[in-house]
Amino acid sequence: MPEIMMLSVAMLASIAGMGWLALAMEAHWGQVFGPHAQRPRTIRGLRVGGGLALALSLGLCLGADHPSMAALVWIMTLAAGALAVAFTLSWRPGLLRVLLPGI
Amino acid sequence: MRITGHHPLWRIAAAVLGGYAFTWGFIALGMAGAFALGMSFHDAEHLTAIIGFLIYLVLFLWAFAARSLARVWAVTAGGALVMAGAASLIQHQLT
Amino acid sequence: MFQSFRLSMAWLHTWFGLTLGFVLMVVFFFGALSVFDREIDRWAVPQSRFEPQPIPSFDKILRPVFEQMQPTQEAIAEMAPRVNGPMPETYPVIERMGAYTTHRDPVLNLFIGFDVPNAKDPEEAIWAYRTIDPRNGASLPDDRLKIGSEFFYPLHYSLNLHWRDIGTWIVGSAALVMLAALVSGVVMHRKIFREFFTFRPGKTSQRSVLDLHNLTGVVALPFHFFFALTGLVIFAGIYFPVGHTQLDPLHEMSERLEAAETGLPHDRAGVAAPLASVDAMVADAQRRWHEKGMAGEVGFLTLQHVGDANGYVSVYRAGTDRIALTGEGIHYKAATGELLREDPAPGFVDNLNEFLTGLHLQHFRHWLLRWLYVLGGLTGCVCIATGFIFFVEKRKRQHAKQGIQGARLVDALAVTTVTGMVLAALGMLIANKLLPDSLPAGWPPRGDLEQYAFWGSWLLAFIHALARSGPVAAGRLSPAWAEQCRAIAVLAPLAVLLNWIITGDHLLRTLSALYWPVAGLDLCLLASAGVALLAAAKLKRRALAAPAIDTAKREAAHA
Repeated sequence: MPEIMMLSVAMLASIAGMGWLALAMEAHWGQVFGPHAQRPRTIRGLRVGGGLALALSLGLCLGADHPSMAALVWIMTLAAGALAVAFTLSWRPGLLRVLLPGI
Repeated sequence: MRITGHHPLWRIAAAVLGGYAFTWGFIALGMAGAFALGMSFHDAEHLTAIIGFLIYLVLFLWAFAARSLARVWAVTAGGALVMAGAASLIQHQLT
Repeated sequence: MFQSFRLSMAWLHTWFGLTLGFVLMVVFFFGALSVFDREIDRWAVPQSRFEPQPIPSFDKILRPVFEQMQPTQEAIAEMAPRVNGPMPETYPVIERMGAYTTHRDPVLNLFIGFDVPNAKDPEEAIWAYRTIDPRNGASLPDDRLKIGSEFFYPLHYSLNLHWRDIGTWIVGSAALVMLAALVSGVVMHRKIFREFFTFRPGKTSQRSVLDLHNLTGVVALPFHFFFALTGLVIFAGIYFPVGHTQLDPLHEMSERLEAAETGLPHDRAGVAAPLASVDAMVADAQRRWHEKGMAGEVGFLTLQHVGDANGYVSVYRAGTDRIALTGEGIHYKAATGELLREDPAPGFVDNLNEFLTGLHLQHFRHWLLRWLYVLGGLTGCVCIATGFIFFVEKRKRQHAKQGIQGARLVDALAVTTVTGMVLAALGMLIANKLLPDSLPAGWPPRGDLEQYAFWGSWLLAFIHALARSGPVAAGRLSPAWAEQCRAIAVLAPLAVLLNWIITGDHLLRTLSALYWPVAGLDLCLLASAGVALLAAAKLKRRALAAPAIDTAKREAAHA
């Protein structure tokens, strides 16, 4: 995969990972899907999925660049992903439904 | 406003000046000591500077959190004198 | 003095953050702009709008330019107090000369240092500089200020106050306070994980501002921490000059040992010698890098003890593929071109130090990471600015009741460092385009006038913020915020328009030619105008709504 593709997917994986980690929290789940409670299994699944997505993002960064550079790129995509998720939650929380299309 | 022993200025002075003096002492002793043990001068300079700024940060915070301001002054000023003195001694031995 | 650890940290965070936060705003904002300093240079100096170039042939292009270079009258006058007797008439002996470039530089910077025999410090040389077009060796007019790399960039680490490095010391204290504010902020923040993604713009302004302060502080915490720390490490030699004061004798000794070990002569031999082909040495260095599998552009080329039998040439690699500023320097005997030394692979400490300083200085080629750094820097600005606004929001009603001017002054300073700073930068860019190509005789140099425009615009913004801060003393919102936002919305497109009129490079042309340095800055200027308009509209709505809420509260309290 060319570098630019890897880095784009890494960026998307960071955003999605942060989004799933946010949805694992009751308050943010409520903002997106309404006030019905999640089941413990869903919470665990979201946390694992979020963690895996962030790990995938790291893997892609390492694939694209020298490790010293990849570490920085990854940490910065985490910050960008968290900001993107936080601002989406405060203005258009419904948009995060794309992260769980089945529900 | 009277400046008594409990005035924040004393804390600020301990944090800024005491912390600086202690860090200076640490960097001097670290550089001289590491050089004496065979590290190159510039490596020793860089390594002690990186650690030194973290030490300065910890001392800075501690100066505000510590209950006894006298202890802060004792550690920072005392440590600075001892370490800077030791650094000069090592230098004297080497040159 | 404090009842608990948490309270001591809160005191530290509030008061140190308030006093040095204004400096930190400058550091973070102009630091973020410095990520694209070379691109801002292209916008400011239209003669330099072409593609980045590798270092050209030394023998054909650089050597004739170096042979013409002489110290300027200003440099001679500046050095005069540091010599015994009068300054020399001519400067025949060249101690050091060289060229420096990066993968983003179309133009090439040259420097040359001449020996001054009667200098009080025998090591001190007098320096001359020149910027050339590396394609043909033509010199650029030397009154052109490179606004990005020569003004915004040094502003972010020295505030451009050079007297006894006072600016660098102020920025250093601010960086230490930034580190302390990050640690104390984490201590104060009770719900760091529970509120990791939380921003509630609909809540009271005090609450939503605190949300934004926490959010921007926490998500970019590693960025903030490492940039403050590495900034200190880069200037460690200024903040803790141990090796040049207390341990100077040890330093001298180590330098003598080092010169003996590397075989690179520390002094001139006093015997004249010719210069062999430098191009051949550069080609040899590139071949050696290539064999090690490293990208082979030259970033830095220096000649030491020029014209002397002890002269040597050092060729350094441009480190574009690593974070570390890897030089992989290779040194040749100037007279013969014979290889003197290849720098050994860096050790652990070197690697650590170069990684830390390199991640801050960013010589690498990585556009995504550059933009993420801009995001990090602007996130830092939002964090500090919301800190000020929280300070004001928390206190302004109480100060209004007690008749204290504190909140009012802090608010005016916050306006000055948030919108005022943007206005200052815009004022400078506009002056850069409005000043005629050749100034009338007797005027100050062009670059100086541009700097006056910067400081003048900032001063005006401060006066305006102060003059319009009255409502804050009554517990309301200062109209200066919205007014300066509108000023940005007018001035930023004006800068784009002037760039079009004066240089002919409008957005359609630069975009279709994919000339990103100029197109990118124009687009960013337009984007900031858009953001400023949105902010002004939002502030207007809030100002209209605010008195209503206040009255409602008062009525509820009376009922």
